[in-house]
Amino acid sequence: MSETALRPILRPILRHTLVAGAALALFSAILLVAGKNPLQAAADSFRSMASVYGFSELLVRMTPLILTAVAVALPSRLGLINVGGEGQLYMGAWMATAGALWFPPLPRWAMLPLVAAMGFLGGALWAAIPGILRAAKLVNETIATLLLNYVAPLIVSYSIFGPWKALGSSAYPESPAYPDAALLPTFFETRVHGGLILALLALLAYWLLVDKTRWGLQMRAIGGNAEAAQRLGIPVAMFLVAALALGGGMAGLAGMGEAMGVHGRLRQGLSPGFGFTGFLIAWLAGGRPLGILFMAFLFAIITAAGDTLQITQGLPFSVVNILLAMILFIVLARRPGASR
Amino acid sequence: MKKSGFITLILALACFTAQADPPRLVIGAVYVGSVNDYGYNRSFHDALAQVARDLPGVKVLEAENVPESATAEGIMEGMIQQGARLIFPTSFGYAASARKVAKRHKDVAFEYAGDGDASRNFGVFFGSTQIAWYPMGVAAGRMTKTNKLGFVVGMPIGYALGNVNAFQMGARSVNKKVQTVVVVTGGWADKAKEAGAANALMDQGCDVVGMHVDSPATIIQTVEARGGMSIGFQSTEARALAPKGWITGLGFTWAPFFTKVARDVMAGKFRGEAVYQGLGGMVAIAPFGPSVSADVQRQVNEAAQKIIKGFNPFTGPIKDNRGNLVLPPGASIGSDQMGSFDWYAEGIIGKVR
Amino acid sequence: MMTPLALGVLAGAVLSGTSLLYATLGETLVERSGIVNLGLEGVLLMGASVGFSVTAVTGNPWIGLAAAALTGGLANALFGWLVVLRKANQLASGLAMMFFGFGLSALVGAPHVGAVIVGLPKWRPAWLAALPWVSASTLFNYDLLTWLALPVALLVWWVLFKTRWGLGVRAVGESPGAAYASGRNPAVLQFQALGFGGVLAGLAGAHLSLSLTLTWAEYMTAGRGFIAIALVIFSKWNPLRAVAGALLFGGAEALQLQLQARGSLISPFILDMMPYVLTLLVLLAWGGSRRLAAPAGLGRTFFGSE
Repeated sequence: MSETALRPILRPILRHTLVAGAALALFSAILLVAGKNPLQAAADSFRSMASVYGFSELLVRMTPLILTAVAVALPSRLGLINVGGEGQLYMGAWMATAGALWFPPLPRWAMLPLVAAMGFLGGALWAAIPGILRAAKLVNETIATLLLNYVAPLIVSYSIFGPWKALGSSAYPESPAYPDAALLPTFFETRVHGGLILALLALLAYWLLVDKTRWGLQMRAIGGNAEAAQRLGIPVAMFLVAALALGGGMAGLAGMGEAMGVHGRLRQGLSPGFGFTGFLIAWLAGGRPLGILFMAFLFAIITAAGDTLQITQGLPFSVVNILLAMILFIVLARRPGASR
Repeated sequence: MKKSGFITLILALACFTAQADPPRLVIGAVYVGSVNDYGYNRSFHDALAQVARDLPGVKVLEAENVPESATAEGIMEGMIQQGARLIFPTSFGYAASARKVAKRHKDVAFEYAGDGDASRNFGVFFGSTQIAWYPMGVAAGRMTKTNKLGFVVGMPIGYALGNVNAFQMGARSVNKKVQTVVVVTGGWADKAKEAGAANALMDQGCDVVGMHVDSPATIIQTVEARGGMSIGFQSTEARALAPKGWITGLGFTWAPFFTKVARDVMAGKFRGEAVYQGLGGMVAIAPFGPSVSADVQRQVNEAAQKIIKGFNPFTGPIKDNRGNLVLPPGASIGSDQMGSFDWYAEGIIGKVR
Repeated sequence: MMTPLALGVLAGAVLSGTSLLYATLGETLVERSGIVNLGLEGVLLMGASVGFSVTAVTGNPWIGLAAAALTGGLANALFGWLVVLRKANQLASGLAMMFFGFGLSALVGAPHVGAVIVGLPKWRPAWLAALPWVSASTLFNYDLLTWLALPVALLVWWVLFKTRWGLGVRAVGESPGAAYASGRNPAVLQFQALGFGGVLAGLAGAHLSLSLTLTWAEYMTAGRGFIAIALVIFSKWNPLRAVAGALLFGGAEALQLQLQARGSLISPFILDMMPYVLTLLVLLAWGGSRRLAAPAGLGRTFFGSE
């Protein structure tokens, strides 16, 4: 291969490396100021991630991030800004829990698709509210999705402090444990669960939908010029609602995965901001499926490093958010424009 | 150029990774809050610091502000990867995560601060604060002038309700007219709501306030500013926060138990069991404040001595605050069932749900 | 002496509403210039953390307060560098600021958790203390920030609507292009609005740690930054309406605690939903009318003369 053929491949790699390097340098400087040893921190993080278990944890972390990123990327094809992934995730977990607790005992092959569908539905319905408000030209979807983010976790809290509170020995505010049939299978003695497969399938479906179908073309038409699309006979209002609902359903699946694959019960604090992180991932990836995969993996690495910082350096976990922010600042500053 | 930089980085990592003199035992501790909170987490941190001082070759890894979710599982796995062979999951909500990790790592010892079954590598322990709150109630019942006590609860779990119940029962044993008002904030560390809750209790005429939250600092300081008195919890150090209104408080003394467990693990003879100790064991009474008379101090200490000798206030007949008989005559609630409360005792103003 | 429910709620509303109001006023200024800072929560946290840490080190809450104000201003300046100078996407930049605030506040505050500080002094004029009920409650026993809350709201209103500078800021918020054409420099005005707004947000955070709770704990704002963003919309980008809104939203929290202390329990979670649900309902009531008071250029990036 000639040098010119390699350039389009090498250049993005070089650029990403430079961004990551600059962010790491800034973060290291901050750690040094705080009296910590950044090299030691890097060594510890590397050691912990290089093991089979450490790597499997990255997959666990990236599972909800892929889904919440798709939840943002899909509606963005129509120019819709969904900052409500967090709330949609919680409603997905909430509906899936309702299913797991209310359905009669079913075998696993019937129960799992049902709770997954409920999770999808929970997120989809929650996102349909801003979708309808937007399609009816009543409320801007950015504001509506943002506001609803904070209502959903409160519905979860209300349920687990009230009607769904487990009647166990401790009266701890959480739902009863799900029946075994409603638990997503886990793989290879790790915490990697069936949600990862769902997430990859969702990513594939997203790619097929936007790149390979007529709907994808029509969505792009609406995103380009909604009025023109309407004149061409595309049912714009329906597309707006459907795209937000589909996206919300993806975030709902993420919530279902966390509840049924990781926690085994409905609890407070199901998501440490997966919805917001998903927004940033989708934005950084420019909505490209492979970019989402790559960025979700990168964010998983960063949060895993946060755990290591906490364990070995005695730093609050939250400090790793600085590294996250540094990467974002550099990318944001380098990429001017109102592009998504 | 880039490649050589990468190699330098790997070399640097290798240098740092090669450590001399491995510790004889690495202990991992997982905290739900910060270890400088004058409270619950501080009590564990202090105890482990003492273990590390007393036993040479012990290294302690700590993780603060770990949510009671699956994150805790990852943290514990991470600690094991960093060499931990003894793990203290110190918050009640870590139960599921800790048990899962313990099942995967049979060679790692766990001591979980909570309840449930013990197994070969999974011990369960706690300080029975519930019964120890009884003498605190005696102090409050004697000190109150309005006959209204206040209590701020973070999360309405069984253990917290037990603390409130013993508090009210102790107060009632010395003051028939006394009532306890409970306000729940809904979180272990929602500071702004804790301030609001303390203010609401003061507005209701409560003049002595107890609490069960992670750090008593905000509540004690708010009550002090409004001229009220407080009974601290989780740490015997909190007295500094209320020079005027401090009465007394309960704190934890985990160090002797932790030292024994660490020795057992190093000697390879750890076996998980359920250990609950109250006053005289894992729970201690804090020094009294300046406003507490010698007579009140004597009465509180008497109640404490009675409990150390085996007195259990949770012995029937006991009625709840709606008049139902929740404990028939002769029945009692043992120190291994302190998480089972789902009622408030007679004289408590509050609803469980 | 017992305080009547209404007074108890009012007293609680003022205490927890103070930080909400400062945050809302700051964000109102910023949004009037056409910029949304979704990272307000992070700015509040940095203000709370830096304010507390500096107070713990110096022993002087006034120095802490000044440091918090400065931190808020600098944080918004960083945000301005991204969205005004580098023309970066406002929503993504806001979320980045939020994460930055989570991290930096945790790092700065960690060594000072548990420090015992002298909070902002409070005082109550004698003639107010003589009113019935007042002396036994927290009413009128306020620190400087609470006493100044109303005057500051008036000041922000006056500056925005009665001064040339305010006219310029609003013009930029409506249409940066038109403002540029009429000889104003949008970037300078936006930076000024961001700086002033950031100072107010920093003070809001400091009120939480230096007066209300006298502690620093990670994520102690517990969503107040987002309540303030909702409040900006709820009050139609008007600083005076924001006063009523802050009392209403602060009162919701106080109400459920006060009711519990009176032996009745309504789910705190239902009341906690109120700010968001009410704001959504208000938006619905406006029915998307183009005349609603949102700055027309809000969230758009201005690329030059157009």
